[in-house]
Amino acid sequence: MRSALLCAAVVLASTIVSAHHSSAGIDRTKSVELVGTIKQFSWTNPHSWMEVEVPDQKGGTVVWKVEMTSPAYLVRAGWKSTTVKTGDEVKVTVRPLRDGSPGGLFVSVLLADGRSFTERPIATTPPASPNP
Amino acid sequence: MARALMLAAAIGLLIPPQVLAQAPAVPLNPLAPSNLAKPRPKPPFDLTGTWFIDMAGSQNSWRFGPPPAANKMTPETLKHFEAAQKAQKEGKAYRDDIGQCWPAGLPLIMTRVWPVAMIQLPTAIYMVSHFMNSLRIVYLDGRPHSDPDVVVRTFNGESIGKWEGDTLVVDTMHFVNDHHWIDAGIPATDALHIVERLRLLKGGAVLEIEYTLTDPKSWEGEMKWTKRWNRVDDQEVTEVTCTPDLNSHIPSTQSEFQAK
Repeated sequence: MRSALLCAAVVLASTIVSAHHSSAGIDRTKSVELVGTIKQFSWTNPHSWMEVEVPDQKGGTVVWKVEMTSPAYLVRAGWKSTTVKTGDEVKVTVRPLRDGSPGGLFVSVLLADGRSFTERPIATTPPASPNP
Repeated sequence: MARALMLAAAIGLLIPPQVLAQAPAVPLNPLAPSNLAKPRPKPPFDLTGTWFIDMAGSQNSWRFGPPPAANKMTPETLKHFEAAQKAQKEGKAYRDDIGQCWPAGLPLIMTRVWPVAMIQLPTAIYMVSHFMNSLRIVYLDGRPHSDPDVVVRTFNGESIGKWEGDTLVVDTMHFVNDHHWIDAGIPATDALHIVERLRLLKGGAVLEIEYTLTDPKSWEGEMKWTKRWNRVDDQEVTEVTCTPDLNSHIPSTQSEFQAK
């Protein structure tokens, strides 16, 4: 039952991400782990997004653009607008773009304090009544 | 002098009298108190609430395609459809207008994997999709469809609803003629006509809509789909906009991933 729920959540999350646009440019068969620094994180509709600065082999850095789902779903996955901040050192897993350019679809982030976040919903308390 | 007056009179007979243009009668809007106050039968159900497409059965249940074999595509649509199939094989999007911030339009706006808020009044149902806050109005106040020479064509069209027993039948037409798609590679044209039959099931927890789509410029016959939505009381419809800078942060919308 639990695996079925997880499966449904994955399906929902992956579909939601495609809601504003086609995700044909994403290679969903591959994962790439980015070890770097948050350059920018945007908590916005219809998609949140982050830029991750990753050291390259030439002594410079490459900025990866990472597409995320909307804040409404990130909140259900435990996120806040302050979960990641500019300058945070992170490991971010993405489904990469097919052509190898630095960008992809967000899968998960591991923060320096050991916390990790995905886009999958986690257990929540029942909705509160606005009129107690 | 007399000759000049005769000439002026003759010219006057040749010029027709000025005809003042007449504007058509404008219906009361659905929020006008006098429209709301008109006596009407009690509707069999109230859609007021927030609804989300049911995807429990299939990840593709939000789609209105690909077209069934019975709905033979017109040559123009077939070209689009084959180009979309080819693009998909190449890992590219074909005419992803929604990704470029064009409105999704009906019918996709109803199933675009975002919640839809509905407010039902005696005179109309106001629907706002969380997806780009697209507005749809279903008029229930007895008005006919607008004059096609006057109506402003839109992506969601003009919807007129009528109650038939326990069903709300909504007739929608007057759509735009470009950048509007039913499914990947299946264009909608200004000939698109949609009839929706709405029912509430499971004590009001489930909304079911039977769709009949015709568009003789794009496919033959009636294309039929049945979709369901679940009432979601814990999801909000808030402001969502496709700002000019959005796609610069969404790399898969960029031109290298769009079929030429």
